[in-house]
Amino acid sequence: MRSRIGSRVFLALLALYFALPLVAALLYSLATKWGDTVLPSGYTLHWWVDVFSRPEVSGALGRSLVLTAVTLAIDVLLVVPAAYWSVVHNPRIGSVVQTVTVIPFAIPWVVIAAGLQLIVKDTVPQLFGTFWLLAAATAAIAFPFLYWAVENSLLAADARRLSEAAATCGAHPMVTLVRVVLPAIRGGIVSGSLLVAATAMNEFALAKVLVGTRYETLPLWSARVFTSRTGNDPNALAVITIFTFGLLFALSALVVWLGRGKSASSTLALARTSSSAEKG
Amino acid sequence: MSHVVLNGVTKRYGAQLALDAVDVSVDKGEMLALLGPSGCGKTTLLRCIAGLNDADAGTISIGGADVTRMPARKRPIGMVFQSYALFPNLSAAKNVAFPLTVRRRERKETAARVEELLALVGLEEHGHKLPNQLSGGQQQRVALARALAPDPEVLLLDEPLSALDAQVRTRLRDEVRRIQHQVGITTVFVTHDQSEALAISDRVAVMNAGRIEQCATPPEVYAAPSTRFAAGFVGNRNTLELPVADGRVAWGGAFDVEAPSGERALCLFRPEDVEIGADGPGLAATVDVKVFLGAVTRVYATCDGTTVFADVPSRSAAGLEDGQKVFVRVAPEHVQVFAA
Ligand SMILES: Nc1ncnc2c1ncn2[C@@H]1O[C@H](COP(=O)(O)OP(=O)(O)OP(=O)(O)O)[C@@H](O)[C@H]1O
Ligand SMILES: [Mg+2]
Repeated sequence: MRSRIGSRVFLALLALYFALPLVAALLYSLATKWGDTVLPSGYTLHWWVDVFSRPEVSGALGRSLVLTAVTLAIDVLLVVPAAYWSVVHNPRIGSVVQTVTVIPFAIPWVVIAAGLQLIVKDTVPQLFGTFWLLAAATAAIAFPFLYWAVENSLLAADARRLSEAAATCGAHPMVTLVRVVLPAIRGGIVSGSLLVAATAMNEFALAKVLVGTRYETLPLWSARVFTSRTGNDPNALAVITIFTFGLLFALSALVVWLGRGKSASSTLALARTSSSAEKG
Repeated sequence: MSHVVLNGVTKRYGAQLALDAVDVSVDKGEMLALLGPSGCGKTTLLRCIAGLNDADAGTISIGGADVTRMPARKRPIGMVFQSYALFPNLSAAKNVAFPLTVRRRERKETAARVEELLALVGLEEHGHKLPNQLSGGQQQRVALARALAPDPEVLLLDEPLSALDAQVRTRLRDEVRRIQHQVGITTVFVTHDQSEALAISDRVAVMNAGRIEQCATPPEVYAAPSTRFAAGFVGNRNTLELPVADGRVAWGGAFDVEAPSGERALCLFRPEDVEIGADGPGLAATVDVKVFLGAVTRVYATCDGTTVFADVPSRSAAGLEDGQKVFVRVAPEHVQVFAA
């Protein structure tokens, strides 16, 4: 009995710890004025309307969405077949890929960006400072989320055995991939994609180093406003923070709902990446 | 007429020899059981026939055509896996239809065939269900129907019953046999359960360490194992190691048979071939304990520190007491002798 109360209190404190900053940001985005009182003195939608009517914000939002879509496309097209190949046809390359997936976490993204910058300058200068370099780099740092999710569901679905069964049924490997394997791992692809989307949506370091003002994404815009000398704009920042969080949260809630609980863990994981990426 | 012929099929995993120049042939319409202990290479052999493993050496032919280098999807086979391996996103009927749809059969023809097969395995009512809505036994029936769907020349079964509980297992075992007879399909059936192998196959291939030790009908394998391994693996036997003298080996007055060359010989005999009597002739022994098994009673008896077990009809065993002095004998034709 006692420990149950204890664990509830602990959970409540944890929830509070995660929720408080969000609640504060939400209130700030709706506050007319928030001075020395506990709660704001009045509420308004003014900031929301104001922020989204600025062309620089809608532009940055659009650029972030394009970056997210392109990153996602690159990762899904590269990672899903690679994971399939390594699990089903050649487990030996699996350990190599596993090692590679750790790199984006072992090396700070700023360092990765700087390294890329140096290499690209010397080898393919045409790519230097372009959107495509940013998209490729973002895809490279976000791919482990998708790889792990897809690999796990391939193993869980025993894709190897299923592929063999399909082969004895006379199916070509491409038919097997499309008709047997992909439907069996849909949940993993979707939840992995969510994490990739969250990463791309919130990524700051790569964008800052690789493209800077040439392709201002939402996180770049936020950082610029935040550090601006002409007076930062906390209400606008609160609006964008809540908006980004809400967008990703709605997306993952949709996925959870569509997957009927199969990928319930992705919402939490998503919230975690989006908050940690914000810090980066 | 030999339908499936394997010639010197060899398979290595690194340093390990999983198949050691296996020669075996299966006749048209015959059911061959591959029987052997865990790790002896049964699955590897079956997968070589299916084309899921490449043999390192040797040839495999099906219906006179060399398929050694043919990929699995082109071979005229159907396979049932131990873990069923049904496609989880497809209904039972769609699973059965899968081999037909990948062959681009006409829709009407496919539907009729699926219905026919579901009826054959007794699942007419369950075609719309997903695999996870079916019991293990039902899933295995679907897997069998799927394997049979394209009318393959050879059916391959890898321990299809071992994930099922005992009762379902016996029922499905007999059903597999019925279906195999009805369809008349050449079948290779892998199992490590000897009663399963003896019950439903036309011939049993006893495997050990990547080789086939004996390949014969179930009664032959049971009564006259040709190697020491087969004798020890099939059935439950008493095993005694005895000295050889003048080309013969004897155990007191219990038996006296011809021996192979060598100083010692291994004598194996079945419990049901051991006679226990109150009087001689025979070897004097003492009854240790009796275990009632229904129709027979297993009697453990000791003489000179050696314990043997005998299966005695329960009616005659009723007269035996623990500790009673008895005489044990075995008819010479029931003793298998191998060099020790
Ligand atoms: N993919 C593999 N890699 C390495 N060794 C393998 C592989 N598959 C099988 N082996 C080895 O080959 C030998 C034969 O294996 P196989 O699976 O054919 O045995 P089995 O007779 O089917 O056994 P079981 O009754 O346990 O299924 C075993 O010793 C096994 O360890
Ligand atoms: Mg096996």
